[in-house]
Amino acid sequence: MIRFERVDKNYHDKEALMGANFHLPRGEMAFLTGHSGAGKSTLLKLIMLMERPTNGKVIVDRQNLSQLSRAQIPAHRRKIGLVFQNHQLLMDYSVFDNVALPLKISGYNERDSGRRVRAALDKVGLLDKENLSPQVLSSGEQQRIGIARAIVNKPKLILADEPTGNLDPSLSAEIMRLFQQFNQVGVSVLIASHDLELIQRLPHPVIQLNQGRLSGPLCVMGQ
Amino acid sequence: MALFNKGPTHNASRSQPESSSKRWLREHKEVAISSWQRLWLTPFANLLTWLTLAIALTLPAALLLLLSQAQHLSQQLNQNSHLSVFLAPYISQEQGQSIANQLLSRPDIANVTYISADQALLDFKASSGLEDILDSLTDNPLPATILIEPASTPLSPEAVAQLAQQLRQQNQIDQVLVDMAWLDRLQAILQTSQRFTYSLALLLSLGVLLVVGNTVRLQIASRKQEILVIKLVGGTDAYLRRPFLYAGFWAGLFAAALACLIIQLGVSYLHPSLASLAQSYQSDWQLQGLGWLGSLLLIITSCSLSVLGASLTVGRQLRLIEPK
Repeated sequence: MIRFERVDKNYHDKEALMGANFHLPRGEMAFLTGHSGAGKSTLLKLIMLMERPTNGKVIVDRQNLSQLSRAQIPAHRRKIGLVFQNHQLLMDYSVFDNVALPLKISGYNERDSGRRVRAALDKVGLLDKENLSPQVLSSGEQQRIGIARAIVNKPKLILADEPTGNLDPSLSAEIMRLFQQFNQVGVSVLIASHDLELIQRLPHPVIQLNQGRLSGPLCVMGQ
Repeated sequence: MALFNKGPTHNASRSQPESSSKRWLREHKEVAISSWQRLWLTPFANLLTWLTLAIALTLPAALLLLLSQAQHLSQQLNQNSHLSVFLAPYISQEQGQSIANQLLSRPDIANVTYISADQALLDFKASSGLEDILDSLTDNPLPATILIEPASTPLSPEAVAQLAQQLRQQNQIDQVLVDMAWLDRLQAILQTSQRFTYSLALLLSLGVLLVVGNTVRLQIASRKQEILVIKLVGGTDAYLRRPFLYAGFWAGLFAAALACLIIQLGVSYLHPSLASLAQSYQSDWQLQGLGWLGSLLLIITSCSLSVLGASLTVGRQLRLIEPK
């Protein structure tokens, strides 16, 4: 689903990624871990095309991203469900409208959109909150709204950047169970997290980032 | 009902396919409505913007209106211009009459009136009140006159001048007076005013572009977070641009409506004084408002300018907001 081939990313003279190789197979769920500033966010940004690599190839869903022009970026991003640490919800939108945003952008009509939004909210257990403002929800609930928004478009790939960063352990475990459920129905999932205690209890491969270098079971060149 | 209940979830197709034109129309309708609703979140600020735009539109529109009507009036006056032909003193009354008849046969002359020297003296005595002085004269100092009305099809000032030149070359004619100088001057003034108005219209159109552009820039700045999130979930530039272009369209529409109103008020305010001025020149000329066609033209111009102003700004401003 995602393949990095000898990817370097430099910011001015600072090297954020050096010769990064890894392959996340279709339908796989993996963790990306490392201390803060190790380059986790950089790696996710390269997948989202928020940044371009200095050297090397990033391939997502068989598409070499360096071949995508600026105008093709939105279509690429629509294939990916993105979950943020700070959830990035719009506070002047209702819960429903926040979750419906990716569908609205893709041009769904109101009926289809409403059905899918409610299905997504049902999945994260917040169906009864659709008319509220995200402001009145707890941070755990806000994060689940963010997840509902990421999955509403039925993406093939979910990326999450520290999705449990602000949550207590029991809420974090709950969020991880949600991602596992999506993975069980075939969605590829890559989660950046430094919550090692939680990650080690889960049966998924872990990619480690240290000083811009990757290591771990998925980091071999091949195929 | 559940989103991920079975099988591969990669199917992005909608359950109810919708034709692309239908979808396009629906999306535009939705944005038009939502941008309309957004207008009333800050009605006062919007009203100020619309008024600024309306004033920028009113000035050139009102000047153009006034000019087009003044030109119409000057053409009317041109039609009514007469030539006065003064005959040489030795011409007898019969000779004068026959010259008048000869002139009448010319195609570029519609009508002639022969006034003999005696008649002219009588008229002058009656109108001037200088009866005593005139009676003391032994000779009639006044020449016989032929008043010429040029052909009814409106003659250009050049054609009238040419006619006068031809008449001057006849021996029996002493002098030809054409009271055209003031009309020439009026034409020149009108032409200058026209150029002035076009320059003003150009400048104020630029003003409209800048005002709308600046308004849109502020709107984009206040919705930065929303734009960032929309970009991250894959909103296209066209999708992001649309609400701002509609905001520009609505601003143009309201500004044009206000400008029409201001012009209509101005016309009804000026109308009585201009009508009495026209009457003093025996003209039934009346100041007309914009009318349906003029109003429509103003609305189309205003909306196009505003949408253009918005689109010039929106692309650049949206590029400045990129998720980091």
